Amino acid sequence: MRRIITHPIFNVEKTKTVRFFFEGRELEAFEGETIAAALVANGIDVFGMTEQSRPRGFYCAIGKCSSCLMIVDDVPNVRSCITLVKEGMKVKRQIGRGEITW
Amino acid sequence: MVKTDFLIIGGGPAGLCAAIEASKRNVKTLIVDEGVELGGQLVKQTHKFFGHEGFYASVRGFEIAKRLISELGENVTVMKQTTVTGIYEDVITAYDREKDLVIEIEPKYILISVGASERFIPFENNYLPGVYGAGAVQTLMNQFKVLPGRRVLMIGSGNIGLIVSYQLLQAGAQVAAIVEIADRVGGYQVHADKVKRLGVPILLRHTIKKAIGEEKVEGAVVVQVDENFNMIPGTEKEFAVDVICVAVGLVPSVELAHMAGVKIEYIPELGGYVPYRDSHMRTNIRNIFVAGDLAGIEEATTAMIEGRIAGLAVSQEITGQNLGFELEKMQEELIEFRSGPFSHKVRKGLERFFPQYVRDYSKNSQRDLGPATKLRPIIECYENIPCNPCQTSCPSGAITVPGNINSLPVIDYSKCTSCGICVMKCPGLAIFMVQENYQPGKDLVVIPYEFLPLPEKGETVIALDRDGEEVAQAEILKVVKSANKTHLVYMLVPAGLTQTVRGFRIPQKAHSLVCRCEEVSVEEIEKAIDEGYTDYEELRRYLRIGMGPCGGRTCRVITLGILARKTRKNIKEIGFGTFRPPSMPIKFDSIIKGEIKDEK
Repeated sequence: MRRIITHPIFNVEKTKTVRFFFEGRELEAFEGETIAAALVANGIDVFGMTEQSRPRGFYCAIGKCSSCLMIVDDVPNVRSCITLVKEGMKVKRQIGRGEITW
Repeated sequence: MVKTDFLIIGGGPAGLCAAIEASKRNVKTLIVDEGVELGGQLVKQTHKFFGHEGFYASVRGFEIAKRLISELGENVTVMKQTTVTGIYEDVITAYDREKDLVIEIEPKYILISVGASERFIPFENNYLPGVYGAGAVQTLMNQFKVLPGRRVLMIGSGNIGLIVSYQLLQAGAQVAAIVEIADRVGGYQVHADKVKRLGVPILLRHTIKKAIGEEKVEGAVVVQVDENFNMIPGTEKEFAVDVICVAVGLVPSVELAHMAGVKIEYIPELGGYVPYRDSHMRTNIRNIFVAGDLAGIEEATTAMIEGRIAGLAVSQEITGQNLGFELEKMQEELIEFRSGPFSHKVRKGLERFFPQYVRDYSKNSQRDLGPATKLRPIIECYENIPCNPCQTSCPSGAITVPGNINSLPVIDYSKCTSCGICVMKCPGLAIFMVQENYQPGKDLVVIPYEFLPLPEKGETVIALDRDGEEVAQAEILKVVKSANKTHLVYMLVPAGLTQTVRGFRIPQKAHSLVCRCEEVSVEEIEKAIDEGYTDYEELRRYLRIGMGPCGGRTCRVITLGILARKTRKNIKEIGFGTFRPPSMPIKFDSIIKGEIKDEK
């Protein structure tokens, strides 16, 4: 389990749980956390593949490096590290640059 | 179209402070921030800040963020989860992720305080998931309470690398080592001492050669370098880690400033490409200001001061008030904070824009260790860092940071009341208390402690020296809990160790495993037998001993031996249980395939 339960400095407050889908798998997350945090908490580190088939995780967690791009509710190139997870959200790994949507 | 007097792009320490100053003067202000909450990088800082009380010294970063946010006036509008995407001649565009909408903003004045992004370094397989920037690790564990992994290799021993290592340990992860390419630690000694006394090795003149793993990080290879930073073949060391944390610096995010026509210059001392600005944080474009890490990589305290300066300068122009006195005061704060040796680079960089001044500080450190039989603080603060909470928190005026805030603290032991407040307050956790001959043959050492679990009174712990090496057994005399979470642990150590012991660890119970598959120890089996499980089959069902993949090949005989010893029976009298197929784990698929083949 990767969630921090007790901490010497800050309180770990319980918030409402939400359910979301990763590659069709139903997973649990906490309201107010980002997609990236929810995935890592569920043991998922591989967020996609590059054009040249290298596995890709995230690097900066503050929306700057674009390494965390995922397909969220059919929209590609969503920065999963600064996008909050929502009830029923469908998250998928993105391969390469993703299919452009308008 | 949103119209505002003052647009602040980025609501971190600089942006928030600018907004506070502007809102105090009724300037209509809009903060646009990309993150899910305001505060920028403050929200993930769990350590106490250096500095003085006027700028939240000894307060933890995430608490500072809360205080700053609470000071925003009613005339400040906040748009979160919104990214400014362009600064055009006539308008500014921003994308609101929540509404999925691009909006236009027309401000009279702009502060760009967007901060910086993580520097990245090339090494083999550096793309693997599990390679994180140090800020990302902090975001995950301190903001969202999720650990990125169990065991971490830290690359870089600057303040961020050292602080994040310490925070990883607090959150329950292991830090295998801190790797530093230079021949000395980059950050403050007090930060390095915090991790060293917890036993984390700092490998100087080393660098990362490669990440190991197919799909994600499973390890790392570290190698020694020569004086020209070339890798020395044959010196490779391998670490089994699941996270490689890269803390090699930050790069100012100059994109928006450049779009707006701000002159960008390359000044390595400030972090690379930085926008031009004057001492009031104004760029070459009349109504555009910059502050914080964008204006030069530094730290949150100076970012806050710069933000206040920008907020004051903009307020002065919009309201026509003369804020010369307030501006002068903040300039003086900057000079004071930047007078120390660690600001040398920043001063050198800023000299390219405008003259820099320094104030004298004292380099005299406390030499006298005080009267041996008195419980008294020992201050291990040997570098001139801008910080003085030891002085301001001391209720009896015993500690002085003479003159400038960068001076080293000195203590008048005759005034000290042994209260321990300085130990709790010191942001560097560099103050301890000692008393020789507290009991015959026992000295007392008091340690600032920020870990869980707290030890209990009377408990025996292992005393550690400054390098985290075990030196003796110690007994916990008492634990004084502090609201600021730096608790004081009083422990008795063998006489003569007051200047050696600087930490402790709670001993882990030693385990002798019987069952390797299910991790069952001798102690657990003995306890179960004492509880009445005196039959091998019962023990199996209760402890899962022998039920792992090996089928009891390793543990059955040992368990039977323990059972015989405890029940005072001959081993022959004890049933050895049954053996059931399969004798090794087989996939269902293989069995089914065999069946189908038979049917054919």
